[in-house]
Amino acid sequence: MPPLPGPRWALRTSLDAFHSQWLLNSSLAVPAAQKSAFSTTSLLSARAAATAPPPKPRRQENTPVKGVRKTYSVKKARKVSTAKPPGPGERKAMRKRIILSNTNALEVQGLKKLEKEMFAGGKELKELSGKMMGLEDNTIDQLKAVQAFQPRQGWKMFRWPSVLMRKEAVDVGHALQNAENNKTSFRRVLVGDKHSGKSVLMLQAQAMAFLKGWVVIPIPDAQELTVAHTAYAPLPESDPPIYVQKNYTAELLTKISNANQAILSTMVLSQQHKLPIPVQNNISLDRFASLGARDPELAYPFFIALWKELTMPSQEGDGMQRRPVMLALDNLQHVMRPSEYLDPDLNKIHAHDLALVKHFMDHLCGSKPLPNGGAVLAALSESNRLKTKELDYLIKRNEALAAGPLMPEQTMPLWSPFAKMDEKIEASMADVEILRLKGLSREEARSIMEYWALSGLLRQKVTEAFVGEKWTLAGGGNLGEMEKAAVGMRV
Amino acid sequence: MPYILGTNFLETQFVKSALESFYGVGPKVSQRLMARYYIHPTAKIGALKQQQIMAIQEDLSNMTIGNDARRILKDTIMRLKEMGTYRGRRHALNLPVRGQNTRSQIVTARKHNRIVDRTHG
Repeated sequence: MPPLPGPRWALRTSLDAFHSQWLLNSSLAVPAAQKSAFSTTSLLSARAAATAPPPKPRRQENTPVKGVRKTYSVKKARKVSTAKPPGPGERKAMRKRIILSNTNALEVQGLKKLEKEMFAGGKELKELSGKMMGLEDNTIDQLKAVQAFQPRQGWKMFRWPSVLMRKEAVDVGHALQNAENNKTSFRRVLVGDKHSGKSVLMLQAQAMAFLKGWVVIPIPDAQELTVAHTAYAPLPESDPPIYVQKNYTAELLTKISNANQAILSTMVLSQQHKLPIPVQNNISLDRFASLGARDPELAYPFFIALWKELTMPSQEGDGMQRRPVMLALDNLQHVMRPSEYLDPDLNKIHAHDLALVKHFMDHLCGSKPLPNGGAVLAALSESNRLKTKELDYLIKRNEALAAGPLMPEQTMPLWSPFAKMDEKIEASMADVEILRLKGLSREEARSIMEYWALSGLLRQKVTEAFVGEKWTLAGGGNLGEMEKAAVGMRV
Repeated sequence: MPYILGTNFLETQFVKSALESFYGVGPKVSQRLMARYYIHPTAKIGALKQQQIMAIQEDLSNMTIGNDARRILKDTIMRLKEMGTYRGRRHALNLPVRGQNTRSQIVTARKHNRIVDRTHG
């Protein structure tokens, strides 16, 4: 127990103090002279000081000592991972992986597939309006080869890849038919809100083109052309310089050859071309394309030769036959601006000075015709959106021009008088129509929701009220938002 | 395994990083060199043509890089010191040269402001 403060404790301390005082004052205390038998002289200490080594200079506080840390730090034990690191390209492959079937989803009974015969006349196509249609095996393979499927599109949730033949898709089908019959080119830029189905409409257009026996030349992601991740070099004797991307061109030839093998194998080389290597005279065009794809150095001359062959006018009767061509490019904004490539003066190379982009743009603006008919489609991306004010303006302008005479309260979109317009972009968009994707109609929304319900992914009953609710929540039938609200979300 | 200026580089190495491994070649110089020969920023050494490697090598050999660049730096600092300038004194003391505070953090200055910069050599 600690001593409690009180009278007894106070008495004890005062007694101690008295005792020590008494010892000092009394005669019992030892005199100072008798304390030690010797004394230390000042001489001895002075001598010791003289013979001692000079004192070390005191270390200044700021000078560091080698090997001594000033700050407190505790080394963490390094975690040793036993997992195998992903190989080169493995992570990208995972990211880009396309899953087109879900065995847990129910098979939709009575789902019809898009077939070649449906495109023979306009009548059958009209009947497809608002219906879900499955894709055929061959078409799926071809669409895979042109990288038309994208991981974010929700294919992995369903048993079989199917598409909704919305009004715009049917219209595109008719337009492709007209382009083939009249040997004209159908040129459109697909725009619309995020998740409105631009890329899927592009996929549908390509699927229809494959079914109709067209040749499809795809640029599935225009970003790949402009982010300076692939080799480039100026085309010899081109002034102003045009830049060729040999590796990308080789990949493009591989895609063309794989996707269009069925139709290209029926065509043979008909002309003499200036090529770096000798080529058999009557080689089929699919073999010709894959020959060019084998060596990046050969790719561009082979691509140009292939294009010349494809755009040779078909002959009457039993003569040489050529099919219409579809050029399809996604993520258009990325090629409507200077690219990341640099010229020797360290200026950014304009995307339209890249040979493949220029080739596409010449056909998009219609300055180069497609003699056998065909289509040139470009889609914007709202998920990977780049701000391109020129393109945004030109789209608005073209839409306004196509809408006809202005109403009194309307004004024509005007370009800012303080900003410089990019002439190349303006030229490429001079005469292109815009296809704006809006929300689905209620009937189309109902059709796709019934498909979700039959696939077992939508548990609710598809009633008028339910469709109306989801349609409204999805901002007036935005397809992607509806899918998120109805299929992606579980309550 | 191509040689550039007597250094052996792996074919899988980025051209940019290979160029910047030389003392005196930084991001700006490597960018200029690569743009001059149409080499894209993510190009690997293995993708270069022999002609491009030779051209780069010639350009590099005409530039003040490596030990030459180091010597120039050292001479400049020595000149400052011998003239008895304040900057020379600060270099000699391994202290910040350009008026920075020295109360707490001068570790970087101690590393780099030496007359012989050991971190770059």
